[in-house]
Amino acid sequence: MITFVSRIKARAAATFAAFMLGAAGLVLPSAPTLAADDVAILGLWPQSGPYADVGPLLNMGAVIALEEVGYKVAGKKIKYVTRDSETKAGTAARRSQEAIDSDGAKFVIGPWASGVALAVTEVSKKNKVMYYFSGGTEDISGKRCHRYAFMWAASPWTAMDVNLRTFKKTHPNAKTIYMFVVDYAFGWSLQKYVEQLAPKYGLTVVGVDRHPLGQREYSSYITKAMAKNPDAVFMINFGIDAISAVRQLHNFGYTPKKPVILSWSSGVEELVQMDPAMRANLQVGTNYYYTVDTPENKAFVEAYKKKSGGVPPGYAPAAGYGLMKMTLLAMQKANSTDPQKAIQALEGAKGKNFVGDFEVVAKTHQTVRPFFVLKTKVEKDMKDKHDFGTIVDVSATPQPADLNECKDIGGF
Amino acid sequence: MEILIASQVLNGFATGMLYALVGVGLTLVLGVLNIPNFAHGTLYAFGAYFTYTAANLTGSFYLGILVGPLLVVLVGFVIESQGVRRLYRAHHDYQLLFLFAIALILQEAVILIWGPVGFSLLPPPVLDGAVSLGFMAYPKYRLALILFTTLIVVALYLFLTRTNVGAIVRAGIENREMVSVLGIDINKVFLLTFGLGAYLAGLAGGLSTPIMGLTPSMGLDILPIAFVIVVVAGLGSILGAIASGILIGLAQSLTTIWWPEAANVVIYLLMGLVIILKPQGLFGTR
Repeated sequence: MITFVSRIKARAAATFAAFMLGAAGLVLPSAPTLAADDVAILGLWPQSGPYADVGPLLNMGAVIALEEVGYKVAGKKIKYVTRDSETKAGTAARRSQEAIDSDGAKFVIGPWASGVALAVTEVSKKNKVMYYFSGGTEDISGKRCHRYAFMWAASPWTAMDVNLRTFKKTHPNAKTIYMFVVDYAFGWSLQKYVEQLAPKYGLTVVGVDRHPLGQREYSSYITKAMAKNPDAVFMINFGIDAISAVRQLHNFGYTPKKPVILSWSSGVEELVQMDPAMRANLQVGTNYYYTVDTPENKAFVEAYKKKSGGVPPGYAPAAGYGLMKMTLLAMQKANSTDPQKAIQALEGAKGKNFVGDFEVVAKTHQTVRPFFVLKTKVEKDMKDKHDFGTIVDVSATPQPADLNECKDIGGF
Repeated sequence: MEILIASQVLNGFATGMLYALVGVGLTLVLGVLNIPNFAHGTLYAFGAYFTYTAANLTGSFYLGILVGPLLVVLVGFVIESQGVRRLYRAHHDYQLLFLFAIALILQEAVILIWGPVGFSLLPPPVLDGAVSLGFMAYPKYRLALILFTTLIVVALYLFLTRTNVGAIVRAGIENREMVSVLGIDINKVFLLTFGLGAYLAGLAGGLSTPIMGLTPSMGLDILPIAFVIVVVAGLGSILGAIASGILIGLAQSLTTIWWPEAANVVIYLLMGLVIILKPQGLFGTR
């Protein structure tokens, strides 16, 4: 995906960072090393563990946003530090605390898994640093909401609603769906809304199988699903889990005869790992697709392609970029690098960015923004090797207020 | 439910036969060289990646599966002749550390050469899709995999039990000093055994690609399972490695019907039971 030379550089940088992190750990306690005219932002990305493949991509997106402002914001130089979340809640919480203590980080973005984010959000609250996350859990802007934490990804309600709406629109005779759901906070959040919303579109959930994170063998779920003969398999999983399930659904001959819905996909990062035959007849819900038609997105795509050897960005680099852009926007609006002033400035903010119109809801800190649904293309219709699909539906309909469990965002 | 159980028995056999190939490779190296090969998992990953590359370059899955594992044999020969051989007389710790380092280097090499993002490789067109078994549709590739790996395992068993070279390898497992005293070049036996182990790991990796795909971490995923197979089978038992590979495949597969979360744990539970009840393994004698 990325050129050989850039891969060597990326691995060398990761190794060096890990070495320096280890070295830093030998000299405890360490004092913040931040100069008075600097502001430190922490990028907490998975450099190892289950999502290690997307860590460098998330980081690349964040770096592009920093390059756009010349590593300066509100009159201060930006010191960008990174840590490896390892997709482990304990590790991510410990390393973000360490970055706050030793590097003076006042703003934190990342990581890439809901369960891990729920640990990091507590670190941000305790240390009074601003935190922006993008993922499938609704708890960051729901029942675990607090004044310091924000959510960039679309609400799970919005995403599931538009997934079901699109499926019914494209398959008006469909009546049943069967669900594969990854068994952690992200999966549970989305499953609840699919079960609530399916009847609205005349659909019945005829079966649900929850599978562990990191599942590679889906044959038992597929056999169960095929016995129910559903009109679609509706998947709430991500990354290699989703790719493995799609591959085996194809092996079993379920696709391309019947559709599979990847309701919360990383888009390019997942689709590029599938053979074109596997991609036939997929509906893909995603927070980002590179063909979004905004001037800001065109600039982002070009900048990313220069770094990636021509590969367009998927959800991971877009999330890195989006999280950093929103964090910078908060400081720009406040004209201050004080987290509390930045947070106040961002609450209720509206505008346009690379994914389209957005609004940051002051009461919940949910970013209301478009969620996209693609229909994949068969190989003969692809204009180039990255022309995976066409955006067939978009929704920015916010979650109904009565369904949000953030009843009091609290004070500082 | 009967259909589901039948399906999972078939899946268990398909996975179990792949495990058997990996397990036999590891037990051969462990038995003859007396070294736990921590690089065995990455050789499995290399098998998958070499197969993928060869299949794409030639446009033929069959050529890929022919060439890929042979390239892994070359990697195995280099590791044995340039590294492991120099450490036979050293303390066991050095051998372990060396192979552990090799595993990490090869793991990073996969990322450097092929990138951090995974790939998919479809089976050849004739084996793509499913075939009706009367009571259910089942992937053609998985059926072919059961058949092919059974043939490989039978051929391997015959090679080890009915040929002179196989007899030397088995003698090496029993008593390598005795083999050396009989005037047989023990270095050649070691090289052959390491190469055979690498081939079996590479073949299993290549054959797994249409089902499991390719990811840089695939070698790390298979390694603990390979060691479980060796422990359950008993040290140096070829037949045991085959049987325990199938047993573990079936145990994993059937567990997913009732308790999916426990599918990866059940194999360690099985290993624990074997260690408690029969410490020498189900088929081991020492």
